[in-house]
Amino acid sequence: MKSNNGMIGKSIPRIGAIERLLGKPLFSADMELDHPLVLKVLPSDRHHARILDIDTAEAARVEGVVEIFTAEDIPRNHLTGIINKDRPLLAKNKVRSKGDAVALVAALNIHAAETAAKKIHVVYEDLPSVHDPEEALKNHASKVHEKGNLLFTRKIKKGNPEKAFEACAVVVEKTYRTSFLEHTYLEPDAGAGYLDPDGNLVIIASTQNPHYDHSELVSLLGVAPEKVRIVQAATGGGFGSKLDLNVQGFIGLALYHLKRPVMCTFTREETYRMTAKRHPLKMVFKTGADENGHLMAMTAKMICDTGAYGSYGLAVASRAPVHATGPYEIDHVDVECRCVYTNNPFAGAMRGFGVPQAAFAHESQMDLLAEALGMDPLEIRRVNALKAGHKTATGQLLNGSVGIDQCLEAVKPHYENALKTWLHGETDFAKQRGVGLGAMWYGIGNTGVQNPSTAHIEMDGEGRITLYTGCADIGQGSTTVLSQIAAAVLGISPDMLCMVVGDTAFTSNAGATSASRQTYISGNAVKNAAEKLADVLLTEGVDLLKRPKTDLMLENGFVVYKKDPDHRMPFSKIAARAAKRGIPLRWQGYFDPETVPLDPETGEGVPYATYAFACHVALVTVDVLTGEVTVHKIIAAHDVGRAIHPASVEGQIRGGAAMGVGFALMEEYDPSTTRSLKDYHIPTAMDMPEIIPIIIESSEPTGPFGAKGVGEPALIPTAPAVINGITNAVSARIYHLPANLERVLEASIQSGKFTMKEVA
Amino acid sequence: MDTYSVIPIRFTLNGDKVSIEAGAHETALTVIRERLSLKGTKEGCGMGECGACTILVDGKSVNACLMAAPQLEGRTVMTVEGLGREGKLHPLQEAFLEHHGVQCGFCTPGLLMSAQSLILETPRPTHKQVVEAISGNLCRCTGYQQIVDAIQYGADKTGGEE
Repeated sequence: MKSNNGMIGKSIPRIGAIERLLGKPLFSADMELDHPLVLKVLPSDRHHARILDIDTAEAARVEGVVEIFTAEDIPRNHLTGIINKDRPLLAKNKVRSKGDAVALVAALNIHAAETAAKKIHVVYEDLPSVHDPEEALKNHASKVHEKGNLLFTRKIKKGNPEKAFEACAVVVEKTYRTSFLEHTYLEPDAGAGYLDPDGNLVIIASTQNPHYDHSELVSLLGVAPEKVRIVQAATGGGFGSKLDLNVQGFIGLALYHLKRPVMCTFTREETYRMTAKRHPLKMVFKTGADENGHLMAMTAKMICDTGAYGSYGLAVASRAPVHATGPYEIDHVDVECRCVYTNNPFAGAMRGFGVPQAAFAHESQMDLLAEALGMDPLEIRRVNALKAGHKTATGQLLNGSVGIDQCLEAVKPHYENALKTWLHGETDFAKQRGVGLGAMWYGIGNTGVQNPSTAHIEMDGEGRITLYTGCADIGQGSTTVLSQIAAAVLGISPDMLCMVVGDTAFTSNAGATSASRQTYISGNAVKNAAEKLADVLLTEGVDLLKRPKTDLMLENGFVVYKKDPDHRMPFSKIAARAAKRGIPLRWQGYFDPETVPLDPETGEGVPYATYAFACHVALVTVDVLTGEVTVHKIIAAHDVGRAIHPASVEGQIRGGAAMGVGFALMEEYDPSTTRSLKDYHIPTAMDMPEIIPIIIESSEPTGPFGAKGVGEPALIPTAPAVINGITNAVSARIYHLPANLERVLEASIQSGKFTMKEVA
Repeated sequence: MDTYSVIPIRFTLNGDKVSIEAGAHETALTVIRERLSLKGTKEGCGMGECGACTILVDGKSVNACLMAAPQLEGRTVMTVEGLGREGKLHPLQEAFLEHHGVQCGFCTPGLLMSAQSLILETPRPTHKQVVEAISGNLCRCTGYQQIVDAIQYGADKTGGEE
């Protein structure tokens, strides 16, 4: 029953792909309800201010306005947040950033809602605002929250780095900075809600975590859990932002009071203004190695700006320091990361939770050390790469899948060939070529905390099987992968399974689609449920086929005697008999990876049960006169444990690399100037190079069929590889992302490349 | 914006004659999505930056969010709903399926329209022509490569028919 009937490792057509190609699935803004009211949020126009009065009288007189809500109208708890409950659905007494929601208009049409929102008069008393996390930690700084501006500190300590630095042949200390980023999924946030015939609140949402949305709505509205149903709509990407409550709370509030169908669709500008951003980090890294390039010690001081609210800041401030060593063994480590409130837009989860930022620093350090020692950048990574039997900075003994060596080995021929030939190829005037490497590791699942998944599988009396999962497929393809896992265990083809996904009335909690956890954790939960059902089918088969259980298997909807495949019994007969005899045919699966919470002072513990590994090589061309960078090719080797659906793994790698190119070269959200897609540039087809994915399968013993994850790892090595490539091209390093035209040109001038070519 | 003058508009949509009245301030996108309930055409930004609302107007790709509804008068319009159907996908749709060019699927209808516009003009486009033709269609999931491959492959299959 552990057999894999060819379903694992096969790129079957994606569930839902044909419908998407026909334009059929309803995304959350596409819902058709009976004369729905439309909702409009009035955001704060102050960074930090007391609310003295909200006068809605004039707005309420606008024709078509039905109701205007403020914080007073929230029935129970007005604060939201998955880790820290600190973000009000509607501002109470004060606002902490320009994106804070102050009031909510419900109207018959969008014109009335927009007109009314403009006529709400809010009297503010401005408070001093703080926009820099280091300033925010000073004594005199204005307090964003009563409890103070320091939200959280994570420390990782191992050995004695200060002493170890003394014995190093080379020590490099540098400061790195990254910017706010916007997820910029193609579908802006939207949702719809209505009352079902029993008076229950049904909310159709674009979300990464329907079961969390459910608990948050219950908390906001103070209603019984069974009175709220969250249904995940077709979801147009998420990348972390749809882990927070974006529109669901507004829909719930209006529905609760008005008991009429409602819709809330953010414009792109509203999505940019009111949803989470990627945390900007400032990171001071000090790394030392011996004369052979062995890493001896590292320290890092990191500070991340979580803006006005915590959101996933705590997770970011844990992940970044835990991963600060990179995929390397270092005996002496001291890392501290502080997460700080400011009056900037709130920062939350974004693909990688701080690890992309940390990787920019640790991979830049690796190249700086290699340069100081006269070593090849690939060689210094190979010398230090983690192996099974090594201990991480948190003291975790790695004993499962550790595929970084294989990733480095896989890129080696591409890397060496690029250095030997491509690097020296003829280029246009003022163009310089460079080759760069970036490696990473990434813990699968949440950091040192429980993060279980559950799933249910059910066979009806006629032998039809339905899989119920709360796992939100946001485009990455988890529904297809989970169907393959269940099908492999049950010996059927995935299209024989009925899938019920992301509907709190029918599914149980699978946790968030985040932390690259769904294939590993929900995959295991689904496998667990399927195995329980499979065991019942085999046990029943013993009775019916009169053969020992060990000689039976499941194949194409039958229990089959292995030695004589014609001696078999269809699932339908077994199901009918089991139903009569009261044998259960609905089973729950459960999986929670084994972790050990991190010690608050030393960080000692087991943050993750398993890690993904990767290495990218980037071939870049820099125009030394304009600062323009062209990425020519990326070779991306990823240890995913086992690729259950290889084409989806490749899709994640290519999409991740695209986001990595954006992070490296162009993406920057400036809270004071970025309003829309006109101001925020993500890579287009013309910006993207050829990406060559290489799938490494270092099987993980605890993974479903050996699988780990790839969603976030795909993005992480790209920016460091591109930055190291730029450095290789212009002989000057960039320490602040993105490496936009100005920064690259400045680097070109600093290194003398600009002058040289200009003279030539 | 406050003037609600209503204009009668007649055009052909996915092969059918359509006759409606639309406000002068409305866009082709709102007519298609709200009036005619064809939700395959998406709105990603409302300012012509993302390409999710791409439709074909007389065979050329257009951002429906930037086109005034009255400009539809007398035109022949195609949306994703007119490209293929269940059981008989258009070769481009087949190619997207085979090449795994769909992830979240929000950008897919717009990309199909841009690709179709390209193929109508250039039955066998080069890689560079494909990339240029879809450069106004943002996709945040795929990194574009599987989409570009699909369009080239789909063009090969459709090319001969044009």
